[in-house]
Amino acid sequence: MKVLILGGNGYLGPHVVKALEPYYTLRVTDINDIDTKHESMQIDVSNLDQVLHASEGMDTIINCSVLRHDRQLAFDVSTRGSYNAMRAAVEQGMDRLINTGPHFTIQGDDYTTYDYEINPDVPPHTSTGLYPLTKGLGQEICKVFTEHYDIHVLCYLFLSFQEHDNQADGSDVNPFTVSWRDAAEAFRLGLEIDLNELPSKCEIFNIFADLPHQQFSNAKTKRILGFNPQDNFEQRWHKKSQ
Amino acid sequence: MNVLITSAASELSKRLAIAASDSHTIRLTELQPIETDFDFTQGDLGHDESTNELVKGIDTIVHIAEIPTHILTSADQPENLQIDFQTRCTYNLLMAGSEEGVKQFIYASTLRLFDNHDEDWTVKENWRPRPTTDSYVLSKHLGEFTCREFSREGKIKVSILRLGTLKTSEEVKKGEIDTMCLELNDAVSAFQGAIDAPSKWGIFHIQSEFSGSRFDIGNAKSHLNYEPKFDPTV
Repeated sequence: MKVLILGGNGYLGPHVVKALEPYYTLRVTDINDIDTKHESMQIDVSNLDQVLHASEGMDTIINCSVLRHDRQLAFDVSTRGSYNAMRAAVEQGMDRLINTGPHFTIQGDDYTTYDYEINPDVPPHTSTGLYPLTKGLGQEICKVFTEHYDIHVLCYLFLSFQEHDNQADGSDVNPFTVSWRDAAEAFRLGLEIDLNELPSKCEIFNIFADLPHQQFSNAKTKRILGFNPQDNFEQRWHKKSQ
Repeated sequence: MNVLITSAASELSKRLAIAASDSHTIRLTELQPIETDFDFTQGDLGHDESTNELVKGIDTIVHIAEIPTHILTSADQPENLQIDFQTRCTYNLLMAGSEEGVKQFIYASTLRLFDNHDEDWTVKENWRPRPTTDSYVLSKHLGEFTCREFSREGKIKVSILRLGTLKTSEEVKKGEIDTMCLELNDAVSAFQGAIDAPSKWGIFHIQSEFSGSRFDIGNAKSHLNYEPKFDPTV
């Protein structure tokens, strides 16, 4: 399988490349220069022509592109970038695409302020924050495309990434924490899963470690994708020994 | 009341400005220069100070959100421009409005969100929109999405007016009857009703009413005192 990675030189992208390179042919793209042994292209995801060109001959797209702070660029990358990725995927006849975003792409302040065991199958309440809203719009675009074309979208939600050996004592972790290596492994699972096993053509997954907080739920990810995180940061959520 | 109307070059905005000026003070804005006797500011609805300046002192923003045709057709990537305008520019206007104390935001959306539904279905405002990937329809759906979050947070009151197919009475007489027909002056009256009846969050289906008209407009009739006058079948 030939996999196009958008945003391959960002925060998450290099970890995804590392996890997938033993199994797949990768084309790694980013808006910045990329130092990689794989085929690479420097592209702007907000430019439809560039995304269409980058997707030629590929079988699937993983969209890790993101820009959080600048208002123009956030809409360019997180919203229109999703539109361009979906257009490209449809034009290439791809049957799946993996999109990414923070958990508040769906589960925004409205949920996190009040609730526990928050699962990904809830109506999107992004808030008006620039990062969550632009990502939420991008995910909504993905969903609309799946309702009209023969393509599946798996949307992976993340929040806090940690090195797997970060075991500082007693400081607690964010309840949506995952190790880089477990996060990256989820992408391999998403590329491998038989699409007939997905409940619908647009499915959202919470990607985080097995943690005791239970503010969120990763049960769906474990049940459907077979996600089995290795790292649970146990020393982080136990108080320091006296 | 001070009312800002966007997309001032559009026929709908022009007629709304004239009709609403009987009881409100009107300010207009557009991406391009236009000739008008109303207070007018050209602007791109960016996230700089100019959008805050534009909405200062305004009570209600009516965001018609139509890109002038020649700008759209001359764009390198018109689909991207459409999405950018309905999402980012709407966000900028909402953010500036909520920062400057604007009380109400009225967004012009489209009944084409239900294009794929059978015409004989009893679609009302509580039906989930099912937009196509047509960039105009999709972008209006995303514009609604953006508005909804501002209402949910209580930052500004938002009314969504989903419009049928806008036509002048002369255009209607020349062509076949469109079951989603919305005569321009009927549309104007719907916006006037919305200006006078703010909702924390309200969605209203707006079209002319006639034998064979497609959408139920009962919600607009009861909340906006909407009483369309035009009948294309007569």
